[in-house]
Amino acid sequence: MTFRQLAFRNVFRNLRSYAAFLLASVFSVMVFFIYSMFIFHPLFEEEGFRVLAVRGMFIAEIVLYIFTLFFLFYSLSAFLQARTKEFGVLMHLGMSKKQLNKLVFFETMILGGLSTAAGIVFGFAFTKFFFMVGREIMQLEELPLYFSWKPFVLTIGAFASLFIIISLISVSFIRTKRVVDLLEGFWKTEEEAAYSPALSAFGLVLLGVAYFLAATVSDRTVYIMVFIVPPLATIGTYLFFTHSIHTFLQLYKKRRSIYWHKTRLVSLAEAAVKLKDSAQMFFIVTIVSTIAFLTVGTLASFTSYTAEFRQSNPLGLIYVSFEGNSLEQQQLDQLRRELKQQQLAYTLVPLEVKRQTSSASGNDVDIMSLSQFNRLAVALGHEPARLQTGEAMFVPFSQESLRELQKSYAETELVESGVELTIDQTYPQVLFPAHTLNANTIIMNNEDFGEVDEPLMGYPQGASDFRYYAFHVPDWTETVSIGENVRYPISEAMVSGNFAGLNYYFENPGYEYRWFKSSFALLLFIGLMVAAVFLLAAGSFIYFKLYTGLERDRRQYQLMVRLGMTERELGKIVNRQLVPLFFLPWALALLHSAFAFISLQVVWDEFAELSILSEMAIVLGGFTLMQILYFFLIRWRYIAHLKA
Amino acid sequence: MTVVKIDEVTKVYEGKVTHRALNQLSFEVEKGEFLAVMGPSGSGKTTLLNLISTIDSLTSGTILINGINPHSLDKDELPLFRRRQLGFVFQDFNLLQMLTVEENLVLPLTLDGMPIKEMESRVQELAARLQLQPFLHKKPNEISGGEAQRTAIGRALIHHPALILADEPTGNLDSKASKDVLELLSGLSREEGTTIIMVTHDPIAASYCDRVLFIKDGEFFNEIYGDDRRQTFYQKILNVLSLLGGSVNDLSPTRLP
Repeated sequence: MTFRQLAFRNVFRNLRSYAAFLLASVFSVMVFFIYSMFIFHPLFEEEGFRVLAVRGMFIAEIVLYIFTLFFLFYSLSAFLQARTKEFGVLMHLGMSKKQLNKLVFFETMILGGLSTAAGIVFGFAFTKFFFMVGREIMQLEELPLYFSWKPFVLTIGAFASLFIIISLISVSFIRTKRVVDLLEGFWKTEEEAAYSPALSAFGLVLLGVAYFLAATVSDRTVYIMVFIVPPLATIGTYLFFTHSIHTFLQLYKKRRSIYWHKTRLVSLAEAAVKLKDSAQMFFIVTIVSTIAFLTVGTLASFTSYTAEFRQSNPLGLIYVSFEGNSLEQQQLDQLRRELKQQQLAYTLVPLEVKRQTSSASGNDVDIMSLSQFNRLAVALGHEPARLQTGEAMFVPFSQESLRELQKSYAETELVESGVELTIDQTYPQVLFPAHTLNANTIIMNNEDFGEVDEPLMGYPQGASDFRYYAFHVPDWTETVSIGENVRYPISEAMVSGNFAGLNYYFENPGYEYRWFKSSFALLLFIGLMVAAVFLLAAGSFIYFKLYTGLERDRRQYQLMVRLGMTERELGKIVNRQLVPLFFLPWALALLHSAFAFISLQVVWDEFAELSILSEMAIVLGGFTLMQILYFFLIRWRYIAHLKA
Repeated sequence: MTVVKIDEVTKVYEGKVTHRALNQLSFEVEKGEFLAVMGPSGSGKTTLLNLISTIDSLTSGTILINGINPHSLDKDELPLFRRRQLGFVFQDFNLLQMLTVEENLVLPLTLDGMPIKEMESRVQELAARLQLQPFLHKKPNEISGGEAQRTAIGRALIHHPALILADEPTGNLDSKASKDVLELLSGLSREEGTTIIMVTHDPIAASYCDRVLFIKDGEFFNEIYGDDRRQTFYQKILNVLSLLGGSVNDLSPTRLP
């Protein structure tokens, strides 16, 4: 057996203890490789929407790389510590420290090579599938499989560098203590945690404050809280696992009537040891799971935005022409022609809009005439509005404004034209998207509308009026390609913020809808895979922890059988040990995410009215289900090993 | 009164090489008797202990403990039988590391759901008897081997079992601690009528017993009864051991207490 063979055998004969670790790293490589395949796709070199995909995936790759670095660092140091005794034997037999380092380096490289190779093979095998998903999401004509050396080189290069870094660092984990100490093994002492009541209270207070701040966050404070709450919660979580839990257990243990009851004695004492042993791991698992939940939850909440999109954008196309727009007729003709070419039925309602100053609020008001407004309302299938002379009606721009306006009442005068109005009605439907008209928009009786003949103060005659062309298109999602050259200058101006020289405004909700929908779906798609890597990694920590403690647990199990524990009692004890291991970090992560989403809801309310509750429930429920399945799988294996 | 009755017990391990670990072994143990089982390595001592502990199954023969045949009990009754009728003392103590001395002591009682008051009074009683009071609240890794073994004996006694099974209880102890533990065990059998079966290699340990049973290759070889003088009993044991053969290592150097 050569030296290298020894390293090989060490790895391959211990594959079972590396199983979850390998699974997580293989998956990480696989996801990284698939992203690379997307990034280097020849079709992606063009501009536009695909840039978002490439950028998103590039960021995801960086996140993966950094996360995998930490994951490997933690896992390998734990592996090495668990093998302390084995190293002791090797050094006892005369292996030099240098040789030992070489051995560990070889082993790590073998693991690295194995997971990189397997990850790339699986990645390449699944690329076609992910390309199909990607094609659907990005609404591409086709996204063919291609072959290029670039994704391979990037993936191999990234992970080779990663594993070399880790191998070099991990060698330094083996402290050259006396061989006798190494032989005794790493987990020889089973002391309970030294905990401080003050720190445990402090941890709970931190968590409480973080939750309170997250729950009471408001529009104004939210951006400060983003920097305050996460650190508070992180430190609180750490103290919770290292101190608070032990204080609770100690309190519990003091009550003998509870503690000295049947199997509780053993399971509680055992839980205390396991919790102490894994406090750091619990902390890491909690934070990692919280991040995964938040990523997926946030992205999933985006998708609910699209469901509300139609409600706030009931019009098919919007063309607004201002004073001095020479392109008006030409562009309108073009839009009509294109709609016809695409065989899309539509109704065009031109609306004349005048702008005046309201004496009640001092703000500008956009005014439309009743008859023109009613034409649009009827076209959209709503009831026409009715108004007497001297009356006006509010036009809501969102569901929220509708609720507010229904409570409002105003008596006002249009300052420039001297028309007096009473406004105590609100049109019960949202017809115009929020930013296409003034926030204060009213409809007036045709006669009153005719009397509005003066321009807004400071404008020449006719300069403050504009024409609003509302297209009602029943198949509104099909208008994606309508008016591309009309839209283009507007998009440019939006990016640059310079609207000078543009005398019109054009909006294509169908195009925007498609864009929103695809980009959110794409981000969700990217985020889900990263979250899956995170959760697999968290699961592998738990697996590893159980696996290294198995020998000790087995001895203990045999002793309990001798002392006369029944199968049922042992099952209970095992459950009480495994349930906290699996669900304590999980529950805390869920709680963290729940409060984070309460804050997020506040942010969302600001620019889109939607509730992310149901999306959250689905996402968190789905993850919990997966965790329960994982729990039963591991429990089954663990009990089988205990009895072996 | 007979507490343990072993009748024609045979144990055969099947496998690639069939091995007859015990062959038609029969003996009885009276109430309050302190019996030592001796024999060279591989003679079947541990197999015998495992069979009496009911954690291994018989090939043929019967074992009766207090008139009950534990091997006829089903898998729900068997653990209950072990936890109520048997007490165990092991060579490496086998205390649960995460429990304190006190908690290790009450472990068998908690399983049966005994009232706290009763448990506490039994702990006090035993702690006084075994001189465990000073370290009741310490963890097993904070006490000496002798103290740990006394704790293990306490755990074996606390539920007043019909029979205590001890597997090399002095194997990991120095001579002083061994002496304490052995005097404790013989005192328990003499003064409190506790029935004890102890498996040992050590003739000195065996010399504390009332009777020594020798087995060789799974079969009965000889038995001798103790008398008032332990020194002469020790010599007798050495004589039998030399007849028994086995390897030289099984014989301790002559260190008379």
